[in-house]
Amino acid sequence: MKITAILCRAALLAAMPCVAGFAQTTTFQTPTPDELKMTADPKAPGAAAVYLNLEQTANDNLGTRTFYARIKVLTEKGKELATIEVPYGGSLKVDAIKGRTIHSDGTVIPLEVKAEDLTMVKAGDFQVKKKVFTLPSVEVGSILEYRYDINYPEGSVSSPQWDVQRRYFVHQSRYAFTPFKGFMTGIGNITSSQIVNRRTGKTLDTLAWSSRLPPGVKLAPNAEGRFSIDLTDIPAAPDEDWMPPSDSLLFKVLFYYKAAQSVESFWSDEAKIWSKEVNHFADVSGVLKAAAAGIVSPTDEEILKAKKLYDAVQALENTDYTRKKTESEMKTLGIKESKRAEDVWKQKSGDSEEIALLYLAMVRAAGLNAYAMKVTDRSRRVFDVQDLDADQYDDTLVIVSAGGQEVLTDPGEKMCPFQTIRWNHTLTAGMRQAANNGAGFLSVPETNYTLNTTTWTGELKVSERGEVSGDLSDVMKGQEALRWRQTALRNDDAELKKQFDRALAGVVPEGVEAHVDHFLGLDTPDTNLVAAVKVSGSMGAATGKRLLLPGFFFESRGSTPFVKAEKRETAVDMHYGEKSVEQITYDLPAGMTVEGAPTDATQTWPGLARYIVKTKATPEQMIVLRQLERAFSEAKPEEYQDLRGFYQKIATGDQQQLVLKAGAQSASGATTGSSQQ
Amino acid sequence: MIAGSRMRVPLVCVVAASLLAGATPPARAALFGNDPVPQWALDASKTKTPDYVGDAATVILYDEYVETIDAQGRATERERQAIRILKPQGRGSSCSVSYDVDEKINYFRAWTIGADGKQYQARDVDFADLGGSNLPILQFTEKTRLLHPPAADVGAVVICETEEVLAPYMHEQYWRIQGSDPFVYEAMELNLPPGMKYADTWHQYSPVKPVEASPGHVRWELRDVKALDVRDVKSRPNRVALLGRVSVHWGSAGVEGIDNQWRALGKGYSELEEHRADPTPEITAMAQQLTAGAPDFYTKLKRITEYIQKNIRYFVVERGIGGWQSHFAGDIFRNRYGDCKDKTTLLISMLGVAGIKATYLAVDDRRGVVDPSAPSFYGDHMITAIEVPAEVKDPRLLGVTEAKDGRRYLIFDPTNERTPVGNLPDYEQGSFGLLAAGDASQALAIPVLPPEANGAERKGTFTLAADGALSGAVNSSSTGPAGADVRGMLKYTDTKEQRESLEKAVGRDLPGVSLVSYEFNEPPDLEKPLLLDFKVTAPLYAKKAGPLLLVRPRVMGDVSQQLDDKPRTVPIALEATGRWHDSFDITLPSGFVVDELPDPVSMDTDFASYHSKTTAQGNVLHYEREYVVRMVEIPAARYGDFKKLEGAILEDQRGSAVLKRQP
Repeated sequence: MKITAILCRAALLAAMPCVAGFAQTTTFQTPTPDELKMTADPKAPGAAAVYLNLEQTANDNLGTRTFYARIKVLTEKGKELATIEVPYGGSLKVDAIKGRTIHSDGTVIPLEVKAEDLTMVKAGDFQVKKKVFTLPSVEVGSILEYRYDINYPEGSVSSPQWDVQRRYFVHQSRYAFTPFKGFMTGIGNITSSQIVNRRTGKTLDTLAWSSRLPPGVKLAPNAEGRFSIDLTDIPAAPDEDWMPPSDSLLFKVLFYYKAAQSVESFWSDEAKIWSKEVNHFADVSGVLKAAAAGIVSPTDEEILKAKKLYDAVQALENTDYTRKKTESEMKTLGIKESKRAEDVWKQKSGDSEEIALLYLAMVRAAGLNAYAMKVTDRSRRVFDVQDLDADQYDDTLVIVSAGGQEVLTDPGEKMCPFQTIRWNHTLTAGMRQAANNGAGFLSVPETNYTLNTTTWTGELKVSERGEVSGDLSDVMKGQEALRWRQTALRNDDAELKKQFDRALAGVVPEGVEAHVDHFLGLDTPDTNLVAAVKVSGSMGAATGKRLLLPGFFFESRGSTPFVKAEKRETAVDMHYGEKSVEQITYDLPAGMTVEGAPTDATQTWPGLARYIVKTKATPEQMIVLRQLERAFSEAKPEEYQDLRGFYQKIATGDQQQLVLKAGAQSASGATTGSSQQ
Repeated sequence: MIAGSRMRVPLVCVVAASLLAGATPPARAALFGNDPVPQWALDASKTKTPDYVGDAATVILYDEYVETIDAQGRATERERQAIRILKPQGRGSSCSVSYDVDEKINYFRAWTIGADGKQYQARDVDFADLGGSNLPILQFTEKTRLLHPPAADVGAVVICETEEVLAPYMHEQYWRIQGSDPFVYEAMELNLPPGMKYADTWHQYSPVKPVEASPGHVRWELRDVKALDVRDVKSRPNRVALLGRVSVHWGSAGVEGIDNQWRALGKGYSELEEHRADPTPEITAMAQQLTAGAPDFYTKLKRITEYIQKNIRYFVVERGIGGWQSHFAGDIFRNRYGDCKDKTTLLISMLGVAGIKATYLAVDDRRGVVDPSAPSFYGDHMITAIEVPAEVKDPRLLGVTEAKDGRRYLIFDPTNERTPVGNLPDYEQGSFGLLAAGDASQALAIPVLPPEANGAERKGTFTLAADGALSGAVNSSSTGPAGADVRGMLKYTDTKEQRESLEKAVGRDLPGVSLVSYEFNEPPDLEKPLLLDFKVTAPLYAKKAGPLLLVRPRVMGDVSQQLDDKPRTVPIALEATGRWHDSFDITLPSGFVVDELPDPVSMDTDFASYHSKTTAQGNVLHYEREYVVRMVEIPAARYGDFKKLEGAILEDQRGSAVLKRQP
């Protein structure tokens, strides 16, 4: 029998929970008296519900997955778990749905209403549906119990994914997987199997798995080659501000039918296949050679050639920022899907991936050595080498050898300056091509924070009642400039201004309106981006003889992060390092002088961050400078206390006020003392 | 962005209805061939983009509905639409058709005329069906067929032509004549079988007379309907309440006169729900058990309404007519779940057992959407109108309104599980609803309750340290809808989320605040205030400025709105009537004296008042304020008064006392 693989995380089944329960669990459990009378769970204080039991299995010989759950509802919110949605697609069938609700007095109310079968999405032959059912008569204190099977057709196998850690605490869970019989006798020694990957056509001869499990828990097959684990007390999924992508942190197990014998060989094979595909697409044709020759001069230095070609491909339409042509549109236009970089060049249009590979081809066509690098998008996931899924790599960068150095570029990111990498492509893993058709793996380094700057400057006229008016400018370089330039690609000028104004409304002092008048450099990524902003309104508070103003124009809302949370479970991910500067000159009202002002100070987190405050007063003006340099983008949980300590100092500094007083007083006396740490 | 004006929204109970689903196999997506762009579309595409488009991302050049009604009153609807894309953000513009289990799409054809004049026809791959289930508790069998148009770039015109056989029970069409994008030309045509009558009603738009081609064949045409963009307008009614729309009825509701139309609609709904509320023996037993020994009308009501509020969970899969018609009371009682119609049905059933008459009141949770001058089924929610006997004069029954026939009805929302009977959710006050009471059906005004029915008392005692840290305790008590809001938050969050929610709310006024402790006291009796006691420390509360320490006496509670100076064209929504009172004492650190205090504020208008005062006695700073709102909406012409009030509040809230070190 020749069977095909259903890869659980393949697109068609993306919406399907890769869960299953023990086929052996055919009956429901009788709750214990303690479970019935339970009103709170000391292991999950404050939880709305807890899983008492969770069981999932997959048996590839039976073509069945089953799911079983028993849940204690502890609060009103926990009732949300009474509604169950089971997405499914393709030839899968959701079957044998059974459920019941048990009240705290032991009364059992069985599920009698048939599950609804609803469409989630249908496009052509692609369809994802879901079965929906809700358990009856649910109360706070109820135990919810249900099970269902997912059957897949004979002749298919699956590679289950066990989502061990969930939104709610799990007391006991059991997971089991019985692989296809050809894999039951051991690992990596399957010669009789004839499992073929539907997509690649390769014979799959190895069952592999990766796991992120609680300390001390190991997953291994038994003598027959079956897998099972029993777990207790799995905490709820963490939920903190500034977290890395949460899915990459959770306990889980993934299985794979693969053609590789080891992790190393899997990735090595994947890199070779990918590199071959890249080279095939980025074939240096005569057309591209001619195009490159028309762009660069033979006398150009290598780095200049690379830059000129970069600018040329960046100028093409990147459909990720406009619109990808539909199939019918392409048919009408007589355009075929781009199979080679040359096609992209001819069509003057491609998506980010195609543009990146076109750049690779163009650079090669100009006689330079260049290599593709496939990286994980850090905004979506953290790369896990044990997870044998090449789809972890999302986007393509290009490494150019120029002037004896390797230069990393991000040509697929429209408006990204030459040699600048968008933050989600930094501090992340990648596989790269190398000389002589080689391939390897490396990480993309963090961008120096000084390349990402935001500088607010300007002059504001202040009245004795706190009315302010004036012009400010925001000079952006690096990631912030890229963000707004990419926003501009998807919106017209009026909409861009509205979005910028909305962002400003959240940071200017209460009572102040700030509206962008115009932008400079929106279309020229190699220059700074400038937003010219008009400010008006009132701020601070006037008393009988004083005017009290926020010390820092953009920090009056007190939104400093990390000040509150004393503990940290997960790493901190602030995306990218940056330097932000605010230097505002206040024209003082006639007859008022500075009575109090922020104190000059420098606070540091050695080697990682620095906060500087400086003020300068004259009889007519007050200049306030605030500068925050954050040289890091990520911090480990063990670094959190230092990080928090630094931000507490920032919060202390930022809360300082500017006080103007009617009547004469020496302005120079306003800035009192300084501190350094 | 989805263009399209027609909308049929089942009663989905205060949850936005959008994409809805169907269990029958989808009809053929389109007749895919090499059909040329039809002449009407070619003509429409030549329409010049008018000057009034402003910032709109698209302009609807042409939008025409043709409704053909058969002898049984079932409609077949054809729509033709041409949309020009004006801006990059308009590239996602498209057409869609929703259909349910009782409906059928006959065809859905689409073309694009590119900015360069090139023509494209959409093919099978350019369409997708989407289910409409965004919330686990609210699911739909209705689906939406969505076009992904070819060549939809700036300057292109997207053209759609659809025909759909509508559900047999739908005898009204909503024609949304205004939206986020302007319409150059739009029309609706109605073709009735001989002898069938129609009626049209207009909301937020001056009625336009149709052209009658022959008896039963009429056509309305509108030109140059401007877009309504109120995204950045503060304190405004819900956008849907402001948009122009037309309802066209045929069949029994196709009668003359607004009162007659409401009556016909209400009678139709009464018939639809007939026998749904019939009690089963189990319902009868429960209602009798609940009301046993109840001394008065109010107590009976309270026991039954609280039973529904606490025991019937919100969940439903809307299937076809199930978007309009409730389940049987017996099924709802047995499963202990249902939607707003179901909760109302069970309530009517149980009240009936107790000898209390009640009926359905179809409303919309967005004030102003149900328009007494524009009879329609348009709405998203079902609540209950409970008849109050003439002899009952209980002051606890605040939400009582009088119908045109002199009957008094207590309005109650069983879906809102936290507002006690007698009171009313603030978002429903000042609205209208369709009272479904057979021949007594009518549009019924939902009352606006007095300020005393809603609000909060907050008292705080704090100590300020010389380094600016503030610590102290706050006791608050919330009543009416304000208390219901807190109860609702407690219901749908766990402890961690409750703490975060409270920290976030307090943190808006006290940046960096830490909650030392907190305790919600939620009495089971919904009538009693919701109490919250908490202790806080805010290390950076008082601001330093050289030798001065600046302390804001208004420690917490933000009731202000920042308004702009743009001309006001839409009414001002004040959201809720109520009374909010704060009293804060701050003990000052030794070594400091008060040098200045903020000025008191005293503002009185007919719609609201605000009074605050800061005093210093010894080493204690005392702040007291009262904010009273008496109306839920005022006209745009009062914007100046509203701005003045809000400006005074904002200034008061920012006010600081200046402390100086004692020499």
